[in-house]
Amino acid sequence: MSEYNKMAKGRFTATGTSAVVQLPFQPDFVELWNYTNIATAAVNSVTRAWWDKSLIVANNNPTMIELYSASATSLVFDTIAGSPTSAGIGTFSAGQLLQFGPIYKHESVASADFAIAKSGAGGPTTVTTDTAHGLQSGDVIIFEGLFQTATTGMPQLNYVWFTVTVTGATTFTIPWDTSGANYTAFDSDTSTGNIGSWRKVLYPYIYFPGTTTISGITLGSTTTIDTTDAHNLVVGQEVAFRIPNQWGTVELNALPNTLVPGSPVYGYVIAVTDYNTVVVNINSSAMTPFVVDQTVASVPGLSYPQIVAVGDVNTGGVQISANSALYPPPYYVPIGTTRVNTINGPAIQGAFVNNTSQGFTIGSGVAVVDGTATIMQAEDVIEWRAFYHDISLPN
Amino acid sequence: MSITTTGSLGPMILQSLAPAMLYVPTPTMNYITICDKVSMPANGGTTCRFMRPRALTPPTVQLGNSGIDPPAQVPQRDIIDAQMAFFGTGCIINEQVILQDQEGVLAWVSERLAVAMRQAEDLILRDYIVSAASQLNAGGGSNGYNPTNLGITDFSLVATTLDTNNAYKFMSGILGENRFGSGPVRSSYFMLSSTELQSDFDQMTSVGGVAFLNQWNYPNNTSCLPSEYGNVANIRILTSSEAPVARNAVQNNLGVFNDVYYNSVMGKQAITHINQDGYSMNLIYRDPYYSGMLAQNATLAVKFAQAQALTQDTAIRNVLSTRLSNLGV
Repeated sequence: MSEYNKMAKGRFTATGTSAVVQLPFQPDFVELWNYTNIATAAVNSVTRAWWDKSLIVANNNPTMIELYSASATSLVFDTIAGSPTSAGIGTFSAGQLLQFGPIYKHESVASADFAIAKSGAGGPTTVTTDTAHGLQSGDVIIFEGLFQTATTGMPQLNYVWFTVTVTGATTFTIPWDTSGANYTAFDSDTSTGNIGSWRKVLYPYIYFPGTTTISGITLGSTTTIDTTDAHNLVVGQEVAFRIPNQWGTVELNALPNTLVPGSPVYGYVIAVTDYNTVVVNINSSAMTPFVVDQTVASVPGLSYPQIVAVGDVNTGGVQISANSALYPPPYYVPIGTTRVNTINGPAIQGAFVNNTSQGFTIGSGVAVVDGTATIMQAEDVIEWRAFYHDISLPN
Repeated sequence: MSITTTGSLGPMILQSLAPAMLYVPTPTMNYITICDKVSMPANGGTTCRFMRPRALTPPTVQLGNSGIDPPAQVPQRDIIDAQMAFFGTGCIINEQVILQDQEGVLAWVSERLAVAMRQAEDLILRDYIVSAASQLNAGGGSNGYNPTNLGITDFSLVATTLDTNNAYKFMSGILGENRFGSGPVRSSYFMLSSTELQSDFDQMTSVGGVAFLNQWNYPNNTSCLPSEYGNVANIRILTSSEAPVARNAVQNNLGVFNDVYYNSVMGKQAITHINQDGYSMNLIYRDPYYSGMLAQNATLAVKFAQAQALTQDTAIRNVLSTRLSNLGV
């Protein structure tokens, strides 16, 4: 019998090759069974995986797996390396912002080059990597540099937080219009000095709603706002705008107000289209069009247009739905219309919420010997158990 | 003649604990210092709600001589909600440690837990401000990055913005005195910045008669906070080593990386820290008696409740900047 250990179990249906499981602790041992692969017994499919925090091999913390490799009738053992670029099971603690993944740039790791093509009018912009990028739709990244030459390229995208939509193992898109004359296609392999890189933002939505960069504004009797990453706004949210002069639609700015000096002009969200599009009840028909085609020369000191959550008019919490809790917690929407619950109790919709969390992750790394199999694929049913032991030798 | 040395007669006890503990390096906690503080009542639900009336339209049109009243105005208000969250951490200490240790382990672990809790309060506010407050990229510096290093014009611009937004300043000015090397200080907002930028402040070039003034060049420093480094225009700068920094987040056209610093400039009531029913600090000691059949383990823990809200969005800006000079660390 033990006194302070922690145990948890659960089941989920995978939405891709990686997953996040929130727990009230960071486990030191995790085991899971891929029920789908056990039931169907196909080659290159993992049936079981387990991971021990204390197992360190050559500075790596591998995940052990049992799988059908070349044969669908006999199981073999294998491992997933556990490095940042080939992750198996690991823990996470999303308690602080501004944490980033490894840098991908020319020769940072083997074949890490990438290229950004100019988009069609309205975007999105497609990024192509030389080798698998390992991202999932909904991940957030930043770019750095992106100078094709000293005066051309796409440095206008520097340090903007972009949600990616994965379109292939080596391709993804970002919601930005690079069709303008001031954007030049970028390739980290051919650019002068190979100046450009990207990194994943590990925990982008620890607090929400907040400030989000605007990627497009559609004027009209109501105003449609597109953002570069998830806005996490809800219907009834009160919002303000910060539009620097060179971006055009300065009439949306909360201040100055010429009629009631000192009184900010706010709008309300009347529809949420998806993770990065909302409709606001401001008639912008006569306003200046939004300008996304910023010059490279303007980049030092270029501030970006933003939509800011400043309040809400809601009086109730999240409504129940099929399979939801009776009193659903606030949620965020990292991609599309997919809701991810926080670990909070119920709150007024639109409230400022703390979304810190911890637990374990399942990565999309492939089996070392098999070379193909990942722990899971979309639609796989996963049973898992996680432990934090009183006694662990070695610790 | 034989000499008795420590080789032949060594001391029975070889060690003695120095009388005082060494200090624990701890960042200054500026965010909690500057925030407004509000307590949400017990049994008050999960969400703290703020209300701010909207300004009414000033009646600048004369009534004339018709004898007819103008139409009434409909007052409006803005509502801001923030959800309470709970935090805590603790230690399990075996009774043998408490019984045998000679330096009062419960005392210093209690102190460490309390400091960890206060630091958590500050870090939560720090990251919340990064998420919630709108951003300006510094452009007044000369290092060629976006954002640039901080220049005098960045201070002037953000102070102008907050003044135009009718934000309330924290500090009234300090009149000049006849002290060598000193200069008057304007009434000011606070900028919460990083200690890593102090060398940049020291090298800042004056523009139009506006310059960086070190705190020790104030006419007097009676109103200075311990972490105050200096003043530029209408902004007094507080620094901390835990200020938010995105490491290697931007690259210039030479391929050199630089860090991005979040310098939060704010007026009064911009950010509010909320506790529930005074639930801001609970130090919990549980005797080994509660720990099982043989009552072997005591526990020491801290727990607190906290929410935070952007209560005056017009009174705060994060000025993002890079650094001019490399750190010598």
